[in-house]
Amino acid sequence: MPKDAIDTNPLVLRNTFAMGRHPYHPQPTDEDSSSASETDTLLAGVGYTVRSSDLLNVADRLEKLDSTIIAAAAAGVPPEFLCSSAVHYNPSDLASWIDSLLTEVPPQSSPSMWMDAVCLPPPSSFSIDAHRLGEEEDAGIRLVHLLMTCADSIQHDDHVLARSLIDEMRLLLPLIGVGYGIGKVSIFFLDALDRRISFLPQPTKSVLEDEILYSHFYEACPNIKFAHFTANQAILEAFNGCDRVHVIDLSLMHGLQWPALIQALALRPGGPPALRLTGIGPQTPKVGLRLAELARSVGVPFSFHAVAAGRLDSVRVKPGEAVAINSVLQLHLLLSETGPIDSVLTLIRELRPKILTVVEQEADHNKPAFLDRFTEALFYYSTLFDSLAASGGGGGRVDVGCSAPAEVYLQREICNIVCCEGSERVERHEPMGRWRVRLGRAGFEPMHLGSNAFRQASMLLKLFSSEGYGVEEVEGCLSLSWHGRLLITASAWRARADSAVAPPACHRYIVW
Amino acid sequence: MENAEGEKERDNTRRYNINDNHDLLAEILARLDGPSLAAAASVCRLWRAVSRRDTVWEALCNRHVAADFPGTRAVVAALGGYRRLYCRCVGPISNRLAVSGEHATTAAAVAARLSLSLSLFSIDYYERLGDGGWQRPSSLLFLRSPVDVS
Repeated sequence: MPKDAIDTNPLVLRNTFAMGRHPYHPQPTDEDSSSASETDTLLAGVGYTVRSSDLLNVADRLEKLDSTIIAAAAAGVPPEFLCSSAVHYNPSDLASWIDSLLTEVPPQSSPSMWMDAVCLPPPSSFSIDAHRLGEEEDAGIRLVHLLMTCADSIQHDDHVLARSLIDEMRLLLPLIGVGYGIGKVSIFFLDALDRRISFLPQPTKSVLEDEILYSHFYEACPNIKFAHFTANQAILEAFNGCDRVHVIDLSLMHGLQWPALIQALALRPGGPPALRLTGIGPQTPKVGLRLAELARSVGVPFSFHAVAAGRLDSVRVKPGEAVAINSVLQLHLLLSETGPIDSVLTLIRELRPKILTVVEQEADHNKPAFLDRFTEALFYYSTLFDSLAASGGGGGRVDVGCSAPAEVYLQREICNIVCCEGSERVERHEPMGRWRVRLGRAGFEPMHLGSNAFRQASMLLKLFSSEGYGVEEVEGCLSLSWHGRLLITASAWRARADSAVAPPACHRYIVW
Repeated sequence: MENAEGEKERDNTRRYNINDNHDLLAEILARLDGPSLAAAASVCRLWRAVSRRDTVWEALCNRHVAADFPGTRAVVAALGGYRRLYCRCVGPISNRLAVSGEHATTAAAVAARLSLSLSLFSIDYYERLGDGGWQRPSSLLFLRSPVDVS
């Protein structure tokens, strides 16, 4: 997000307000800090008189008022409309006004009108300070707030309120620029919420469609390239000195990760090893042939073996070969309550790999409460769409802006996180901290990704036209960041020497 | 008498034409930078043919990135040649990094650029092996390929 843009995340808004700072001027001015008892000059500019010392209280009470409204709506009693006496055209003391609202308000009240009165100051005072807030930003903030409220109402199973909020949001959409920023992401989340309460069945997916969308996403932003290059570097270093190597890819797709590794092995000092590649999961036809052709051209002895999705148990490892297992954005698919994550990790452990590379999204979209998940996802995907828009959706297409198929790729993830539950919800992203614990429990220890990987990743990111990308190193793992917000984390693991391999599971047919 | 000598000299000069010695021409072209080489290729058919020799582009690439590995030439030839490597990878990468203020000064930095260039080049080769159809070679589009002289 550009520096002077307002962070429209409502949680952030609430927090900045609570910290005694005006949300639209995040840096505390000298006046604010020195005169705590004087009126807040910035709010005075929009027509409210609030003592600076009272700001925290006011924010607190606004929050209470908010939750009272939700509770009132949940009670479902037809409202006794009180707004006419409470709408506030000449607010002289915001603090006591809110107090009066809190003491006066009965459980019945018309929710949307209350929100009009409370969430935003009346339109008249805002237009006075037009240079600070365009109508569009105003509407954008309101939209975000409505999204959060809708998600909260869904969490409380109040579908009636949710439906009315969705209708209201759709009316708001024409006011916001939907080609960029918060408007664009909001549409996807709005559609997802709509799907959820309409109980529409999920659209059927075709493998070909998946492949096309994946290919466009690969091209549009550096996330997957970063994942591939970093994992390859770790695997290359792990294979140092080995003559026969075996790479198992948990999701082969187009096989775009492997040409670079094959080429690097061809040029490695001491000559190339014999490479076996096992690709699991849906694959573009003839991936194996093309990789074999490439390997033949550069002089690497190569053999390829395709395995159906979910059949990790049928992979055979030959004695004496160094094994690397590669999972790019795959392990989180196994995290549902009945999911096979533990047995898969055990299987991986049994294959005795020299290295296990894990690349996962750095986000927490697996929280049990729906509202928490929704909030996290809104924030994460806003950042991701920002980065997509800034990188122009792939070189040379400045006129198009963001790549549409790449957006659809992300929209599917959003839909899955918001609409689905149980075993249907597969996009269960978890942050690296949680993976660390989980992999540690399964008998793996982390390996530090070296400085070569860091340098290569930095150089790769500099090639992308936008300035916001960065590489961060956290406890040996490398993360791709957009303006400081971590998007995707790559890590490497090896089996701990002391932990014994668990006895083979009885039920070996794992389907995912 | 002087005139005759002068004329003889001029005859000699006229008779010596760089276009007669292709290898010498290639040696000279190999010292040009990328854009100049592309311009030279537009001079005439002979120059176009000579400037397409891979050795010319190899010299250009090696100026940007030191090629220490003995097998590099074979690998690059297999993946499509130095000319393609320069046009699609080395050139755009150097330009892009120069724009962001990075100049490769140490041998390690230069080697890192070569390594990245080759990786991207191999992905491009792999895509070109594909069936075509909906999947066109696009992994290098983010580098915004320069004008192709062919």
